[in-house]
Amino acid sequence: MKVILPGDKISDSPVRTENAIVENGKTYATVMGMLDESRGAFIPLESIWYPREGDFAVGIIENSKNNVYTVALESPFRGLILPPPRPRFGGRGRFGDRGRPPMQEERREIMHIGDVVSVFVKEVKREADQVILILDRPKRLFGGKLMEVRSSKVPRIIGKDSTMLRQLEDGTRCTILVGLNGLIWLKGENVPLAQKAIWKIQEEAHVSGLTERITELLAGNDNGNSNNEGR
Amino acid sequence: MGGSQDKPQLIIDGKRTDGRAPGELRPIKIEAGVVKNAKGSAYLEWGNNKVLAAVYGPKEAQPKHIADPNKAIIKCRYQMAPFSSLEEHNRSGPNRRAIEISKVTKEVFENVILLDDFPGCEIDVFVEVLQSDGGTRAAGITAAAVAVASSGIPMRDIPYAVSAGKAGDSILLDLNKLEDNYSDADMPVAIAPREGEILLLQMDGNLTKEQTIQALDMIKKAGETIVKIQRDALEAKYR
Repeated sequence: MKVILPGDKISDSPVRTENAIVENGKTYATVMGMLDESRGAFIPLESIWYPREGDFAVGIIENSKNNVYTVALESPFRGLILPPPRPRFGGRGRFGDRGRPPMQEERREIMHIGDVVSVFVKEVKREADQVILILDRPKRLFGGKLMEVRSSKVPRIIGKDSTMLRQLEDGTRCTILVGLNGLIWLKGENVPLAQKAIWKIQEEAHVSGLTERITELLAGNDNGNSNNEGR
Repeated sequence: MGGSQDKPQLIIDGKRTDGRAPGELRPIKIEAGVVKNAKGSAYLEWGNNKVLAAVYGPKEAQPKHIADPNKAIIKCRYQMAPFSSLEEHNRSGPNRRAIEISKVTKEVFENVILLDDFPGCEIDVFVEVLQSDGGTRAAGITAAAVAVASSGIPMRDIPYAVSAGKAGDSILLDLNKLEDNYSDADMPVAIAPREGEILLLQMDGNLTKEQTIQALDMIKKAGETIVKIQRDALEAKYR
């Protein structure tokens, strides 16, 4: 593995990959990362979460106006939860085709400013003067703890086929929701241990043998210093 | 830079006032990731200069009317601490010089950061000079470049900056405060090293075409050393 910095060449041919640009037929990195030359994979060490359709995220309700919720997602762009579309009745029944008014009162009871929610990105919409994220399937998260990690470390926290996340959940008996935006919600038996393990993953994501060290930490045999308070 | 009658002799027996050769840099030390709350940060010591740089964002541009719908904007604040120097910077708040240097620093980063990825957003770059001894704009750009690279904000290259000047017939690299005040010319230059693109070139005083080429060659040669120090600082974060 080789450390790559912005501007370093990662391929002599044009390769379409994230966190890289193609100039003069060659591919150059745009962020710090590690290049696995055997697999030709470029793994970013630091990056900004750029939302895509279908991304899972954890956020905080920031504002509520006209039945539209604004969600703070630690993202450069604003997230919105829109009211559900009005059900239509086909123009035949008692209501004609006017539809039914949106369920304003019920929805307001569900979410308030400051509530933690999990959402999916439904659409990245380019408006006239800004980019907004249309969010879908909001789910209010009751209780628990919220922590923030660098979004570039999220894939390592989840692990290949969610192995690391499952190990964390089993070892601490916690429910852990990891948003791709870097916000993590935890609730369960041993939340401090889960937090300690996640901070350790964040700080040592690039060092090999991490899975073994996390197993040791969860088993209570940790000798290393992992008291880093996140970013 | 100035042309006063009683100006000190800047070169004695081929050596400069601080004992350096004309083409020699002052010692440079950079540490990345020193401000935990910032997205990216760096602390730099360049001779007697001490500079702290921090980067925040990208975030929604505020106020809304300054936002660009097609790309992110950069807000840059270069500031000398009131205690950083002996005389002229002893009041807080921006002055004409700080506004100018903030502007040129911003323009350097507008050419390397991929702003198109974040429409309607802003990226804040702060450069605080804690102790100054000449060449602080170059030191500020070099430190801010490491801060941006350590933040994960996508950029095409990591720029560096250094100044060159002239005392008598000698071309000097990396002027200190005394040389800055009394030399015949001072030319700070910022370069994106991959393609050798010049992102900033200012000049105070006069240089002939040959002298300018000689100064630029000197700067590009010194750039190899500066780039290596920048790389080491960033890689040290992950060692």
